[in-house]
Amino acid sequence: MAQNISAAPEQNIPFWRDERVLGVFAQIGFIIVVILGAKLLGTNFASNVNKLGESQFICRDGSFSYRCAYDFMGSEAGFDISDTALDYVNTDSYWYAFYMGLLNSLKVGLLGVILTTFVGLFVGIARLSSNWLVSKIALWYIELMRNTPLLLQLFFIYFGVLLALPLIQDASPVLGLPIFLTNRGLSIPAPKFMSAAAIWVAFLILGIIQFQVTWILLARQEEQTGRATNRWARGLIGFFIIVIAGWFISSSVSDTQGLLTSKASRIRDVGDIEKVMLNRTNLDYLDEIDTLSPEEVDAAALKICVLRDSASEPNLIRQIERIGAPYTVRRFDRPDQVTAAYVEGDCELFAASKAILAAERATLENPSAHLIVPVKESPIVWSVPRYDGTNIFGGSKLLPEFTALLIGLTIFYGATLAEIVRAGILSVSKGQSEAARALGLSESQRLRLVVLPQALKVIIPPLIGIFLSLMKDTSLGLAVGYPDMYQVTFTTMNQSGRAVQGILLLMVVYLTISLIFSIVLNWYNSRNVLVER
Amino acid sequence: MTAITESMTQKLNAAFEGRINWRYFLQDNVTGSWYLAVWVVVLAAATVAYTINQMNVAPLTTIIILILWLVGLGFAIANGLFKKRTAIGSWLKTNLLGSVSNAILSLLLVLILAAAVRGIWSWAVTNATFDPELTKPEFRNPDGATWGVIPGAWELLMVGRLDREALPRVQMALGYIVVLGVISIGANVAGYLKKIRPLRSILLGLWAITPIIVYILLAGVSAEGDFINSKTLLIGEAVVVGLFLLLWWQRTVKFSVVNLVIWAAAWPVAYLIWRAIGKSEMFPPINVATWGGLMLTIIIAVSVIILSFPLGMVLALGRRSEIRGIPGWLLWPVAAILALWGLFVSTPSILGDIRNQADYVLAFWPILILGFAYLLQKMFQGNVVAAASTTFIEVIRGAPLITLLFMAIIMAPFFLSEGATLENVWAVIIGYSLFSSAYMAENIRGGLQALPKGQFEAADSLGLNTFQKMRFIILPQALRIVIPAIVGQFIGSFKSSSLVAIVGLFELLGMVAVIVSNPQWLGLRKELFVFAGVIYFIGSAVMSWYSRRLEAQLGVGER
Repeated sequence: MAQNISAAPEQNIPFWRDERVLGVFAQIGFIIVVILGAKLLGTNFASNVNKLGESQFICRDGSFSYRCAYDFMGSEAGFDISDTALDYVNTDSYWYAFYMGLLNSLKVGLLGVILTTFVGLFVGIARLSSNWLVSKIALWYIELMRNTPLLLQLFFIYFGVLLALPLIQDASPVLGLPIFLTNRGLSIPAPKFMSAAAIWVAFLILGIIQFQVTWILLARQEEQTGRATNRWARGLIGFFIIVIAGWFISSSVSDTQGLLTSKASRIRDVGDIEKVMLNRTNLDYLDEIDTLSPEEVDAAALKICVLRDSASEPNLIRQIERIGAPYTVRRFDRPDQVTAAYVEGDCELFAASKAILAAERATLENPSAHLIVPVKESPIVWSVPRYDGTNIFGGSKLLPEFTALLIGLTIFYGATLAEIVRAGILSVSKGQSEAARALGLSESQRLRLVVLPQALKVIIPPLIGIFLSLMKDTSLGLAVGYPDMYQVTFTTMNQSGRAVQGILLLMVVYLTISLIFSIVLNWYNSRNVLVER
Repeated sequence: MTAITESMTQKLNAAFEGRINWRYFLQDNVTGSWYLAVWVVVLAAATVAYTINQMNVAPLTTIIILILWLVGLGFAIANGLFKKRTAIGSWLKTNLLGSVSNAILSLLLVLILAAAVRGIWSWAVTNATFDPELTKPEFRNPDGATWGVIPGAWELLMVGRLDREALPRVQMALGYIVVLGVISIGANVAGYLKKIRPLRSILLGLWAITPIIVYILLAGVSAEGDFINSKTLLIGEAVVVGLFLLLWWQRTVKFSVVNLVIWAAAWPVAYLIWRAIGKSEMFPPINVATWGGLMLTIIIAVSVIILSFPLGMVLALGRRSEIRGIPGWLLWPVAAILALWGLFVSTPSILGDIRNQADYVLAFWPILILGFAYLLQKMFQGNVVAAASTTFIEVIRGAPLITLLFMAIIMAPFFLSEGATLENVWAVIIGYSLFSSAYMAENIRGGLQALPKGQFEAADSLGLNTFQKMRFIILPQALRIVIPAIVGQFIGSFKSSSLVAIVGLFELLGMVAVIVSNPQWLGLRKELFVFAGVIYFIGSAVMSWYSRRLEAQLGVGER
């Protein structure tokens, strides 16, 4: 304000009304108040720490220092986490447990972001549907979600729906698909990545690069000749050739899977299993196995042992089923348990990676009497959940807590996003659509080339805000007992009695996440400022 | 027989002649593009399958729906083909049965809705029990709701574990608010507010002291302590008179002896009334830890919005403050001296006792002071007020609410002075208000930014000082713009107050957990969740309806 006034009257302003002077004084006063407040709190904190929680800042050598606040995180966690992305045992450190929690939070957050985008787009478009019923259903969905607390929805989904599902004893496939929904969670088929997958992914990337290069070259050619080419088809053909070739190359190159078996079993190759089976059952062809009684089949069945949830199981089973041999599978938690069963004679075959097998074979009494037979592997095998009457094996198991959190976040934020999508689409003026039609663009071209690019500029900034809120609300996993970063930290805080450190750690992580989001948002905004007329 | 058929066909052909071009019809509705065709076929297959399924489950409803659908289809066709425009036909054609895919989709959705309504109805009404006496597990129908839990646990749901002897006080508070609300709305509708000026002031005054009255009723006033505490009396008096002088200096209140006496008398009078209520033991203190249920939800939501509004306004103004910052020639030397002092005092002591690699980095923390100085200079031109407000707002907005709530509960004891304690309810309200004020600040800032620059310049050119400019020109307009956002935030506070259940307060959702662990109502979660959902839904819907009304009244968006 003061700058706007010409220089002459400036001399007349007494200093107690000069805004520049007042401003500096106000700020100095402000700083003094802040420092005094901080000092008061700091003194209180120091005296309370001495009284309430001196142990919080004890170093390993027993001395007291604020620098040792996080030393305890290096010691043994001692609690289990029901769902971890990486291998975790309760003897790992608190840091590692926290890391597992962070990964879980990110897992829910990222999956939630993806699903929310789909739900939001779908409902937002449904809200604009010309069908009255569709539009009204979408409206009521949005209103219901936005007018009730997220926590209530989570509780309802978790306690009211997921825990009210059938017991595991009553599991049955959903809609005839290999999907099991019980009160212990959702089991779905899932890809398991073998070591060959790394090579195959390289081919996949190569295919994508090829597609891009073809696309650019053809586009250039189109510009030069003025003749349209089928860029999609030519790019995709090359892509699929590379990817399929890569599949076979990677599975023939890679050689990490094996079977441990005794020389006496006469299995030197997975293909030998057929001969061995024919010998045992006295059949000419394995197709005739139906003619045997169930007891005979059971007696002849191959006894396979594997590690629980290992990729070796689906990989081997697929090949054995192709042969048609009967088999039984036993699953163990640790390699040495399998070896013990193998020594007992409960297992004929032990399927695992060659590294594990070699180590286990070395522990046997007479290693030379046992062979490690190579097993072919595909880059990716589908592990399908199977139900054996008491339990469900294989596939990927989503805990009810995880499912509740994911569904709750998705449907809640999907409704919020739907309103934003709707507003974004409505923000594109009618004239744009009319102009596109007048130019003779088809409906899909109109949406793709005219409406959506303009709508997206309106949609994306609040969209990033919604994603950030969703990431923050993964903390509600605590309410349904999902072991996210929050729950792990709370267990840590309860066990170690170090509350202040835990809360600060959470704050730092969340601030980092939100900082990343706002950097992305600013970057996007600076690139895509809506051109206004 | 054939003759009749032939004549029918001829009649039909004649009827359709020139009215419909089948080729165009097919192209528009089915064969226009391959994905449209696929969509129609898939939709039709799904609908047929589902209809057959529903025929087995509930034949009667399904047949009625099918007949209604066919009749509607008839109306729509008649409308399109024969120019027989009926209102219902036109509506059906534009909204439900406009194209083949729309018509099939409508049928499918109606069938699904019917099935859903049937399922909910049979759970909530047909198979349900309503008697509060029959809520024990052995009396329940496993396929139906046990609504008896709601009247049975009504008091728990409403006020939690509050001492039942204090119930009349809750009713008094509720009655006071309801009566005041009814009078205000009635006076507004009847137009008395504009006619009788004092009425408006009286009502505003009553609303202003409502929080205090409710506090007295629900929390009570302690009788402990002296009747007159001179220290409190003097400090309060100094604050009030100081405030008066500040406002006078800023030319927002007129200085007159009458004004000064009114201001000066306000504090002692209020204080003495307070002590008198305490000493009379009319409203002995209630343990606030026993608050619960819907009452606690409302207390938290309302306190948070009341506290966060002024705080948010200060933060918003702070963030937008344009006062000249601390100049570089002052900032850099101070920062350098502080950093050097830290490097000479703190660093050697840390370096002398290295425990791990991190300590090497940690030891050089004084360099951060220079970093902060750089950020202050670069991002805020040295404006400390703007820097502090922005940092506060962004830090709070970056963390989830439950972090703030836990922080308030777990960390508050560490920052309190010797001997002081803080009930969890107050800690939560303070933490939640801080959280909410950051969002409120952003909303208000939006309103400030939406104001045209001319308004600020006009106020400046009139010679108004900053305080007057804000009070009379800027804030009235800015706040009007942000009413929808503020109401939205109020709804958010109301809904998110459920999160205090996680930190161990027994508001509505927290009470549900308590009730379902009672053997009498064991596991009746669904019913209670539905009840809580209905309360939240009605509360939020009423508020957003009121916000739309207020917007229309104040003419938001029209200038």
